Amino acid sequence: MRNISILTLAAATAIATMSASPASATGKVKCEAGPQSGWKTRDALETKLKKQGWEVRKSKVDGGCYEVYGKTPEGMKVEAYFHPVTFEKLYVGRRGKELFRKKGY
Amino acid sequence: MRTILNNRIFFWLLLSVPAALATAGWWSGRIDTMDMLHPTGEWSARFMILAMMIGPAIDVFGSRGWLRWCLARRRYLGLAAFFYAVLHLVFYVVDMGDLPSILSELPIASIWTGWLALILMVPLAMTSNDRSMQILKAGWKRLQRLVYPAAILTLLHWIWVHDGMGGALVHFIPLFLLVLARIVKSIGTKNKEYENA
Repeated sequence: MRNISILTLAAATAIATMSASPASATGKVKCEAGPQSGWKTRDALETKLKKQGWEVRKSKVDGGCYEVYGKTPEGMKVEAYFHPVTFEKLYVGRRGKELFRKKGY
Repeated sequence: MRTILNNRIFFWLLLSVPAALATAGWWSGRIDTMDMLHPTGEWSARFMILAMMIGPAIDVFGSRGWLRWCLARRRYLGLAAFFYAVLHLVFYVVDMGDLPSILSELPIASIWTGWLALILMVPLAMTSNDRSMQILKAGWKRLQRLVYPAAILTLLHWIWVHDGMGGALVHFIPLFLLVLARIVKSIGTKNKEYENA
């Protein structure tokens, strides 16, 4: 019975530790781009991507970067991160598989 | 109150609440198709894990009233896991839109693990009835053990497709610990048998 108490305690600790981590930032990519007042708009990024042949489904801020869900010009459904000031492409992932990551990010 | 709680149709309704809420949100346009994947997949895994925890819980804690209550409903939890997985697939197919796109994602580890998990769940769901139990006899239990590889594939699918391991592990750790406790206990019992012999 003592084993079970230890196991239960371990489970509770594990769950508590993991629920404590913030859900908002995925930690996949981090941008230190200064205050948001200096950022270009998300609309501008979406317009730029659409011009390049992307289909944009959704975009938001994650880890201080712009995160975009959509389709690449090649037709792959991806999740991509862009720098909010330079619009530089930082990361592209397809169903969790990393396709591209800029050096240093 | 007790009769309502113990009513099987009430239990079915209870299990369908998350699907009904999410589908209603999608129908009204509040929830995007791609955002239906997470809740349907997560509920499928939750029901699978709950169904799988009942056996080890009885072995570890002994046959208590509430555990027997759960055991009597284990089949429904398992079937719910399957139906939510099918719903998960339906929204994936709708979101992808066409067969070439779906096939193009098959080689990705996070995707084929999901397909394989669902394929393993088909014989489990199809034999989750009294008739199959009578026909298959001892083979039924062996067949139902397919749930273990299905669960491992589900865990991998979840970890690989999603951002980080947190969500997947929070769900699977309780099951893992219960299975571990059952093994520890069964080894303990065997040792006692040796001492007594």
